[in-house]
Amino acid sequence: MKVLELKNVNKIYNSSEIKVHAVNNVTLDFEEAEFAAIVGPSGSGKTTLLNLIGGLDMPSSGEIIVGGTILSELKPSQLIDFRLHNIGFVFQSFNLIPVLTARENVELIMVLQKWPENKRNLRTIELLNAVGLGDRLNSRPARLSGGEQQRVAVARALASKPKFVLADEPTANLDSKSAATLLEIMVNLNREENVTFIFSTHDPRVVKMARRIIILEDGKIVSDEKQCQ
Amino acid sequence: MKEEFRLAWRNLWRNRRRTVITAASVFFAVFFTVITRSLQLGSYDHMINNIIQSFTGHLQVQHIKYHDDPLIDNSFAYNDSLISAISAIEKVVSVTPHIESFTLASNGPQTKGVAVIGIDPAREKHFSDPEAKLVRYRITGEAVEGMRTGELPEKVLEKVEKNIGRSYSSAARIELELGLTDEEKNHCLSQILKYSEFKNGYLSPDDKGILLADKLAGFLRAGIGDSIILMGQGYHGVSATGIFPVRGIIKLPSPGLDSRLVIMTIPAAQQLFDADGKITSLVINLKDRSGRTITKARNKINALLPDTNTSARTWYELNEVLYQQMRGDSQSGKLMLLILYFIIFFGIFGTVLMMISERRREFGVLVAIGMRKGKLKRIVIIEMVMLGIIGLITGLLAGTPLITYFNHNPVIIKGDLGKMMEDWGYDAMMPTAPVGSYFYWQVVIVILMILLAAIYPLRKIGKLKETEALKS
Repeated sequence: MKVLELKNVNKIYNSSEIKVHAVNNVTLDFEEAEFAAIVGPSGSGKTTLLNLIGGLDMPSSGEIIVGGTILSELKPSQLIDFRLHNIGFVFQSFNLIPVLTARENVELIMVLQKWPENKRNLRTIELLNAVGLGDRLNSRPARLSGGEQQRVAVARALASKPKFVLADEPTANLDSKSAATLLEIMVNLNREENVTFIFSTHDPRVVKMARRIIILEDGKIVSDEKQCQ
Repeated sequence: MKEEFRLAWRNLWRNRRRTVITAASVFFAVFFTVITRSLQLGSYDHMINNIIQSFTGHLQVQHIKYHDDPLIDNSFAYNDSLISAISAIEKVVSVTPHIESFTLASNGPQTKGVAVIGIDPAREKHFSDPEAKLVRYRITGEAVEGMRTGELPEKVLEKVEKNIGRSYSSAARIELELGLTDEEKNHCLSQILKYSEFKNGYLSPDDKGILLADKLAGFLRAGIGDSIILMGQGYHGVSATGIFPVRGIIKLPSPGLDSRLVIMTIPAAQQLFDADGKITSLVINLKDRSGRTITKARNKINALLPDTNTSARTWYELNEVLYQQMRGDSQSGKLMLLILYFIIFFGIFGTVLMMISERRREFGVLVAIGMRKGKLKRIVIIEMVMLGIIGLITGLLAGTPLITYFNHNPVIIKGDLGKMMEDWGYDAMMPTAPVGSYFYWQVVIVILMILLAAIYPLRKIGKLKETEALKS
């Protein structure tokens, strides 16, 4: 089942003198429970593509369809609600809310979705156990290592059972051991939760774990291949 | 909503030192504003009450020419039925007839221009109550010598000696002005009162004698039983001359009046000024001083007056210069406080600017993961209001006990400043105004200031672009 479709998506930045074609006529679709990596050199348009897919930015032309909804047709407030219910985000620099504990960071998404408290508690503990932080529930981000913070971010991204999770260079700020642990956790969650994971990366460890590799150069897809694990 | 409050509260303390400094700036602004304003309003209130209770009343019925030309010629005839009719008006507490003019007062070589007021001793008890102002205690050199024979501690004697020559109309006042501690009051006050007791008298309804204000009596070197000669001009230019025995000495709260007032009965004054059946004013006191009460009462009184040459004037029309001075002083006080709040506003605004620049990426994350901008704005507003309210409430709480204390125990201004104030005609005392509308205004001002400072972050959040905020 298709969770995401991109049809002839273009993103052009018009600065005063130069026109930058950051995403150039991209057509893609993603099935449920995919584990895909978008790979490419710096400036190839990976982050822009991820921003478009996540509804954080709008394409100059083309359509992005998530579960039958065309993102560009949504009003800004509808788009925020749409992201809340359908898309999980993992950022390169973790971006946890510093004044909230690990538990509260994960819970925040469910609070915004108005889940009942008991259901919220169960899901939070379930996710933090799954990322190996069941004993750090009440720690604030400042007291967690980079790897632990990124694991909390993964738990947060999965909290509301989204259709897919977008991870922009999730291992870029992690040491090799933490990165390996994080990848292992994401692979497991991808299977257990049946959620599609889409990464932008140039980390070979991530590429190695991905079941589909999309190579982007100058905003164009130059290769889209599935690989066996 | 609970979540919004929790997030706002946590955000508030993410930079504890900055929050404390900003809340402290609001605290000091509120604290100093309420104290300053309370002292200012308290002093005005005290001054106005002195004037109203001792002299002008809330309203006065006068001949229309009397205010500009206060001569006995501009007097009017009155009768008891008019007093009864005015007394029946809502919120009228007392109606007191006065006949007022100016004469020279002389005792031996001492002569001074004085204000003479003819009163009805019984009715006057409901207005200025001169009987309550009779001097009951006077600290003289003899009194202090007497006290030395007792067992008064040296410290108390020093306090008493500093006040030689002063008169008091009550034990409470003597205690207040001497600044006695509780222990000194318990052990020494009865002895101080015993040695400083002053024998005094009041006027009977048809008395031919007079009451002298304390400072005037001092100037004329006159005591009880002495005779004072009054010389002036009576009704339609007749000569007004008489000799009057001093029945009593009164201590007036307004030093200006205390140095120039002579009180006698209305019949005695009518006889002195040859103005049979006439008075110069009917002084009316009301239940309160609000503009509404005064205007309403004035209109009703004017409708009752049979003589078209008479009309009711308000206390502020009668004391126009003082009233305008107080208004001007009040406005300049408000301006100073406005400047103080203006400075504090920029302190708060600085905090807001820093907060926004530090948390731009976090705002981007929150909106990216699904928090609506409206909710984010509410969190920021709650955070800022909490910051203001911490300063506001602590400022008001710190100010309240001081204000309450000094309302009941006014600051007595002594020394040169006190004397200077008395010379200018002010009572050298500064009570604070009780907690009132000026208190609630601080709440409004601080909240407005916070909301004004919040405009900038709210606009920033409204215009926030997630991708740009995430890059910052």
